[in-house]
Amino acid sequence: MSAALRFNAMHFMPYVHFPPNHKDYKSVWVNFPNKYYDPKKGSQLYQRYLKELVLADQLGYDALVVNEHHNTVYSMMAAPNLIAAALIPQTSHARICVWGTPPNLMLPNRLAEEYAILDVLSNGRLEVAFPLGTGMEYWAHPVNPATARDKFRESLKIILQAWTEDGPTTHYGTHYTYRFLNPWPRPYQKPHPPCYIVGTGSPETIEIAAELGFGYASVFVPQTRARELNQSLRERAAHHGHTIRPDQLPLLTFAYVAESQERAEQECTEHLRFFFEDLLRTTPQYLAPPGYLSVEQLKMRAALADKLHGGFDLKAISTAFFIAVGTPEKVANQIGGWAEWMGTNHINTVMHFGDMPHWKTVKNLTLFAEEVIPRLRSGARAAGAVAAG
Amino acid sequence: MSAFTREFHTVDGVKTAVFTAGRGEPLVFFHGAGTLDGFDFAESWTDRFRVIAPQHPGFGESGDDPSFTDLHDYVMHYLELFDVLKLDTFNLVGLSLGGNIAARFASEHRHRVRKLALIAPAGVIDPRHPALDILALPGEELPGLLVSNFDVLKKRLPEKPDLDFIGDRYREATTVARLLWEHPADPKFMRYLHRITMPTLIVWGEEDKIVPVQQAETWRRLVPNAEVRTFKGAGHLVHLEKPEAVEAVAKFLG
Repeated sequence: MSAALRFNAMHFMPYVHFPPNHKDYKSVWVNFPNKYYDPKKGSQLYQRYLKELVLADQLGYDALVVNEHHNTVYSMMAAPNLIAAALIPQTSHARICVWGTPPNLMLPNRLAEEYAILDVLSNGRLEVAFPLGTGMEYWAHPVNPATARDKFRESLKIILQAWTEDGPTTHYGTHYTYRFLNPWPRPYQKPHPPCYIVGTGSPETIEIAAELGFGYASVFVPQTRARELNQSLRERAAHHGHTIRPDQLPLLTFAYVAESQERAEQECTEHLRFFFEDLLRTTPQYLAPPGYLSVEQLKMRAALADKLHGGFDLKAISTAFFIAVGTPEKVANQIGGWAEWMGTNHINTVMHFGDMPHWKTVKNLTLFAEEVIPRLRSGARAAGAVAAG
Repeated sequence: MSAFTREFHTVDGVKTAVFTAGRGEPLVFFHGAGTLDGFDFAESWTDRFRVIAPQHPGFGESGDDPSFTDLHDYVMHYLELFDVLKLDTFNLVGLSLGGNIAARFASEHRHRVRKLALIAPAGVIDPRHPALDILALPGEELPGLLVSNFDVLKKRLPEKPDLDFIGDRYREATTVARLLWEHPADPKFMRYLHRITMPTLIVWGEEDKIVPVQQAETWRRLVPNAEVRTFKGAGHLVHLEKPEAVEAVAKFLG
């Protein structure tokens, strides 16, 4: 598997200049006042973050990953296709992954068009992931969370039809009517760019990926659950006649690499804390608008101690999720072990998190590219390294 | 709930719980956007009326039907249920969102409704006195806003966080979201209220924080035979807080 390992550098592009009183707010999503956004600081952050992703391309990462969120400091990429369009002329080989725009937040033909534009602009470097969108996005948009899954399914059908069937075609559905589905341009890659669904593991969403033969990227679910979801996708996809390849199961990891374990922890802990404790801080109401989850899922999630939104302990969080902090050797061993255990060769790593400064991000990107990736590619990680548990 | 007998009817494929008690002229009661308040407040009606209190699809012990995306679907559902129950004409009482359904039913099928009573009905659009958008409220803030005297509601809430309770409320909120997420109020609703020609009583708590009592004036203006009774010291759930409001409905219908 090691020869085929693939490494993505993912960036959330957060707005990190919080007001001193930010802890007074229960959520930094949905209703966090946008008066706290300073466009001059935002401009500097965009310049800097784009530079970091361009550096990742130069360092040889296989792909650059951007994503979409709204009404929040967590991400400044409300329109990730614009970010992707800015990256394309500045990069040469890395695949451009927009993981991605929730189809429910855009007209499906328009999304099919924008992705096709990016694919053509980049000579076929685009990959897309379709999220249902977090609960928070539904508070920010005039879109009904109670009918979201049904609409999501219909949107995907329209997008695939737009990409794969010669137009004009028609679509008469529950949520959309197209009398002339005939988007120009069409994707560069045939039949279409690689597609994934990204989510937090609702069985309903896994089923859609399985039906379509798409990859599935679980995000922010505990390790054992993430493994179950991969297994579940393989089984459900087989049921629908699809075989899921390892590269269709991107593994979301966080990594920070330094000269020593102590140094790595010392340099990154405050930024991980900022990410988990502050950037992800929101309320149960915003996480689950009515109808966004089935009642069973809502009860299941309410029953779990919430490890994600609002509390922080480095050790607990590192064992709950796929977070590797330490020397190149340790990080390579951990990630290699996780990849094997998860049955994937596709490593998607967040290299900048929280309020990490530029120099640390550059250091982390560089050490990971020069010390971790070669170790994993050559299969040099320690034999018998312990897998996740 | 002891006075009531519960039975289930399958109406157009949807399991529908119907609570019945008492004898006399039939009185149909439509509950609001939740079932937390129960039907026990209506026991005082049962010595004069045969009270028939269904639970709407998507609420309480009734089944779900995700195809119900419009309040008019409930009008159609109740036409079917009343066929099953062989109810021809009856008194109709509706609370809050159930008041909206009752008003729709009465405007479309006025020959079926003898008298109509609406308790803090939802649906009027009044920019000067807007209804609170309950879908935007954190769940934990809602109970305190429903009543003027919290004690009447407190005994109906779990003392400790309770997953089943949370799940039940989430399910009912889901049903409401299907109906109201995009459009909390239907701009065409008021257009047809003039068709409600039977004697109508509008009841309101004067401290209603959900649907302001000032909206009663709009109802009085649009509904030809409407009289209004308001009650001091009561919030949205005036039927729980003021037995005299419940009695006023009975007197009006009798």
